[in-house]
Amino acid sequence: MATKIIDEYQAMMEAYEKSGGNVGEFENPNVPSIVISGNKVLGKNEVKGLIIEPTPTKDGVDVKITVKSGTKILYPMALCFGVIPKEGVQIINMEAVIEDNAGMNAISHCVFPNAEHIVHKMNYKIHIGKNSFFRYQEIHFHGEKGGVEVVPYTEGSVGENSLFVSTFTLKEGRVGKLDIKYDVDVMKKGKLELYSKVWAKGKDTVRIEEKGNLRGEESKALIKSRVVLQDEARSKVYSTVNGYAPYARGHVDCTEIVQDSAVAEAVPVVGVTNHLAKITHEAAIGSIDSKELETLESRGLSEEEAIKVVVGGLLK
Amino acid sequence: MDAILEVKNLSLIKSGKEIIKDFNISIERYSTSAVIGINGAGKSSLAYVLMGLKGYKPDKGRIYFDGKDITELSITERAQLGITLAWQTPSLFEGLTVKDYIQIGAKDKSLSIVKDALERVALDPSVYLHRIVDKSLSGGERKKVELAAVFAMHPKLAILDEPDSGVDTISVEKVMQLIKDFKKMGSTVLLITHRDRVAEIADKAFLMCAGQIIQQGAPKDVTAFFKNECTECNHKGMPVIKKELMKEEVK
Ligand SMILES: Nc1ncnc2c1ncn2[C@@H]1O[C@H](COP(=O)(O)OP(=O)(O)O)[C@@H](O)[C@H]1O
Ligand SMILES: [Mg+2]
Repeated sequence: MATKIIDEYQAMMEAYEKSGGNVGEFENPNVPSIVISGNKVLGKNEVKGLIIEPTPTKDGVDVKITVKSGTKILYPMALCFGVIPKEGVQIINMEAVIEDNAGMNAISHCVFPNAEHIVHKMNYKIHIGKNSFFRYQEIHFHGEKGGVEVVPYTEGSVGENSLFVSTFTLKEGRVGKLDIKYDVDVMKKGKLELYSKVWAKGKDTVRIEEKGNLRGEESKALIKSRVVLQDEARSKVYSTVNGYAPYARGHVDCTEIVQDSAVAEAVPVVGVTNHLAKITHEAAIGSIDSKELETLESRGLSEEEAIKVVVGGLLK
Repeated sequence: MDAILEVKNLSLIKSGKEIIKDFNISIERYSTSAVIGINGAGKSSLAYVLMGLKGYKPDKGRIYFDGKDITELSITERAQLGITLAWQTPSLFEGLTVKDYIQIGAKDKSLSIVKDALERVALDPSVYLHRIVDKSLSGGERKKVELAAVFAMHPKLAILDEPDSGVDTISVEKVMQLIKDFKKMGSTVLLITHRDRVAEIADKAFLMCAGQIIQQGAPKDVTAFFKNECTECNHKGMPVIKKELMKEEVK
């Protein structure tokens, strides 16, 4: 049993490295961290002012993370979630509470290196107090078979004068089926930034539904999505910003690049119920700009190399 | 003459209009040659045909580079032979840093080469190396990055399409110096411009009008003609210029 756990931890760490993570973080006592494989907590490190409370469930783990009032966590928290076998379900319910005058950055790697049939559900509840910040980055690493269904749903509230930045990146391996949802309220002078970067191939399907509700005066939101599709991949991106309060400012910026017989749809919705709010949007769907490719070709790159550079930049 | 580039009887038709007509030019190796002409003369189209852009395959004629017929070659193949283009209005690239952009084509990708190229266009490397080549750059800054990237490539033939356009007056001096540096480095330069002042730093100038070269020679003579006589033509009737030219030749 013990060796089995060690093997599993080893496999998680390998996948973590492949997805660009630095394994040393899990050995550094100053770096807060948690490693969850399936429904097992394989590692956990708390630092002063940060409480991590995991509770294993049948199909995953419920985790509560609290950053105590007045604490700014120095090093970004490292999270590693994943399923090593070909098949399985992992349901993570994560509640993150950033109390007042507090802040944390966190980078989460979700790894499914052997996925053939895996369902990964993440339900986030994010509460950010006043004068606080939470920057959360989620990087996915899937195998080449495309057998993953990823369903991250985030509900949150950004308190007065606080910041929430969430970045979702899935550009290594196949997407499989991705269904992202955000619904976040932003209070007075609060700021929300949501970034999604996805590269879909084969028969992958992508659905992104992001919603920022600007409820407080002078609150701000930026929703930026970059989806690159090739082969027969499909995507639908629904980005919504609602301005309910005076001087609320929001912007939706969605670019989808389609190649081969891929299909993309973008629905930017901007709603304003307060006449002093201002929300703007830009959405572009199309193939890669031929002038951009020709420019790179004129520097000696082949067409394939040029496509990689343009797509790489877009998803960076 | 040792020509690095020779264009023979080139014709390009776009939307039913002959933009380049029975065009001939011969560019001497290691020289700086200016192609001058008013807006719409066909200068950029010529640059695109020479670079081999997909929408600019010639309808007639041949292009020889280093004695080799390159008419059917792709952009990439031409670039790998040593031809490149500094675009008149360069594209923007999301997520790509100035450093990345310059290194893409650079023969020697070392940081010192990138920095040197930036300094030559009056862009402080400590400020610009990590800037993104997107809409956050001003038009003039983007132009300078373009020239730096082409310079770092050490091309055999650098086609510079209006290198000074959008560049502020102080930096224009730097750009002029850079054009001279291309020559020192051993590049042949095809300098496309509508400004006589820029054309005058070349060794030889060609006057392009309505898709043809109508005069060539010492830059001063060509620009003088461009300034003084060309207006009569008003870019409508080639024959007017031809008549003027014929008079000159008779003299
Ligand atoms: N794709 C095109 N279709 C139709 N006309 C074009 C096209 N590209 C250029 N032209 C026309 O060809 C002429 C030459 O254009 P261009 O080469 O850009 O001139 P220059 O660079 O000398 O200002 C112009 O009249 C321009 O409008
Ligand atoms: Mg032009």
